Amino acid sequence: MAKTPIRRMKDLPSSHLFGSGTPMCAGCGGLESLHQIYEILGPRTVFVNAAGCMTLLAIYPFTPFRGSWLYTAMASAPAGAQGIRDALDILLEQQRMEPAEDLNVVVLTGDGSANGMGLSATSAAMERNLDFLYICYDNEGYGNTGQQFSAATPHGARTATSTGPHGFSGNKKDLFSIWAAHKPAYVATAIGAEPVDLARKIEAAKQLKGPRLIITLAPCPPGWDFDPRDAADIGKLAVKTGIWPLKEYVDGKVVHSKIPHPRLPVEEYLQTQGRFSHLFHPRRDEGLLAEIQDSVDRYWNGITE
Amino acid sequence: MYRIRFHGRGGQGMKTASRVLGTAFFQQGFQVQDAPRYGAERRGAPIFAYVRASRTAINERGVIRHPDLVAIADDSLVSSPAAGVLQGLGPGTTMLINSHDTPEVWRHRLNLDATILIVPVGEEVTDRADLPFAGMVCAAAAARLVGVIGREALAAAIREELGAHGNALADRNIETALHTYDLMQDHAGAVTEGTEISAENYASPQWIDLPLENAGRAAPSIHAAATSTLLKTGLWRTMRPEIDYTHCNRCWWVCSTFCPDSAIRVNEAGLPEIDYDHCKGCLICVAKCPPHAIEAIPEHLAQAREEKAHAAKTPDR
Repeated sequence: MAKTPIRRMKDLPSSHLFGSGTPMCAGCGGLESLHQIYEILGPRTVFVNAAGCMTLLAIYPFTPFRGSWLYTAMASAPAGAQGIRDALDILLEQQRMEPAEDLNVVVLTGDGSANGMGLSATSAAMERNLDFLYICYDNEGYGNTGQQFSAATPHGARTATSTGPHGFSGNKKDLFSIWAAHKPAYVATAIGAEPVDLARKIEAAKQLKGPRLIITLAPCPPGWDFDPRDAADIGKLAVKTGIWPLKEYVDGKVVHSKIPHPRLPVEEYLQTQGRFSHLFHPRRDEGLLAEIQDSVDRYWNGITE
Repeated sequence: MYRIRFHGRGGQGMKTASRVLGTAFFQQGFQVQDAPRYGAERRGAPIFAYVRASRTAINERGVIRHPDLVAIADDSLVSSPAAGVLQGLGPGTTMLINSHDTPEVWRHRLNLDATILIVPVGEEVTDRADLPFAGMVCAAAAARLVGVIGREALAAAIREELGAHGNALADRNIETALHTYDLMQDHAGAVTEGTEISAENYASPQWIDLPLENAGRAAPSIHAAATSTLLKTGLWRTMRPEIDYTHCNRCWWVCSTFCPDSAIRVNEAGLPEIDYDHCKGCLICVAKCPPHAIEAIPEHLAQAREEKAHAAKTPDR
């Protein structure tokens, strides 16, 4: 835990514990949040990584981390975390390890694993009250294989497998609520483009015991089709238009850490990305634009905290 | 048989280039193989794709070792050993490269006995690092160089490969491709078919025998931290962010935090410094810098300037 609480950008650590040289895309929104998260978590962490883009983070003998990394199949990262936590607990119990040497066990998966194949393993881990942190980098599709739709793809977005005139016909799964319904110690949404909010949530999660789960929206230049330099600005717009609410579930209550005011029209966010270009070209799809705006408005209607 | 290799960076469209050229050959009645080859890296990392085309059945498999034509979308790849651009280039090879330098410079630089051509671009293109439709330009130039692909077959191939993305996009690509095709008129048919490779001439690889080691010694355990920094992802960059320190506000926590690659550190004077060994050139820092003190400049210009400065510092021998 940092000695000073983080209140503004200036308080953020710049030690760069997280190594450069990873094979993630230029402008990766997932990496932008992960390196910030790692600064707060510190080197005494062990990562359990489900298959996804970040599969490539730690390819032997190269790793950006200062500790261990375990790679699991797509559905089983929380089960891997259970094994590591149990092993650490046994070592502590038998006094073969000093308490100061204990590690944070962190699951790292994409939205494909978190919302789909890995959801039941996550549910079971919460049921067992596993002491772990779950980081989901959500780029709203199976980005590692060319952005096919996932259960986290937003309504109307074009993906490699939603190429029709109206994009993806389904709706983004409300993973925050699904996770919170298990009543774990902590659930939050965050984004790398809001570093202070992200850092405070990681600090909060770090101080708690039990299951703690965080979803960070990860603007994805190739998957969402935008210029890499715009990644952080698009992330900010996701928050300002209210399409990505920043919130926490703690002590049985959901609290918003940022209520956008005034809330910008959602199309200011949509028009920055090629995956929504069919909503504007060759002509505006007023019906679908209104539908997306309406779903955002309905979310915020009545929210005061 | 024609053997053609396309080299580029993920995102420059070289995989599509090989598909378009392969389909165009197919339209002309050829048997065709085309395949991309890339590793685990992403957009910006070196990739290549290759096409074989023959009027008879193709029995060769795998990567093309001795190409008749190598098309290179990005000249900064030549100096990257991992890209393998120069692999198997010989006297019979034509090298087509997107570069601001002349064929003479490249011949001298590489000491290479191959035909070297520069990708033709219109006068409106001032910076080749930002060449739009780079892959399509290379595909069209290659189609003209082999001399057996007509304008119509090229256009039809692009329509077939890009049609799913809408007619407007296909039309823009066809227009760019046909323009390049016409610019290459003087070189039509310059690339000829390579000789058939026969199994009779097969030479087995020169294997090196390594004795087995004790398993305990042969499987090293590595405890070093952050070893990824040994990988120089700065080679991916086509645009370089540069800090103008006269305008820098020293709010290093902004650029240093938003940089996804931990490639901006803070020096003792409280100024941000960009680590060009690892900066991938995403330019988020350019977008986020509050006083707009970071500027993006084409990598090749930055490198040319560095070389000049270095030469000026080195006294004549």
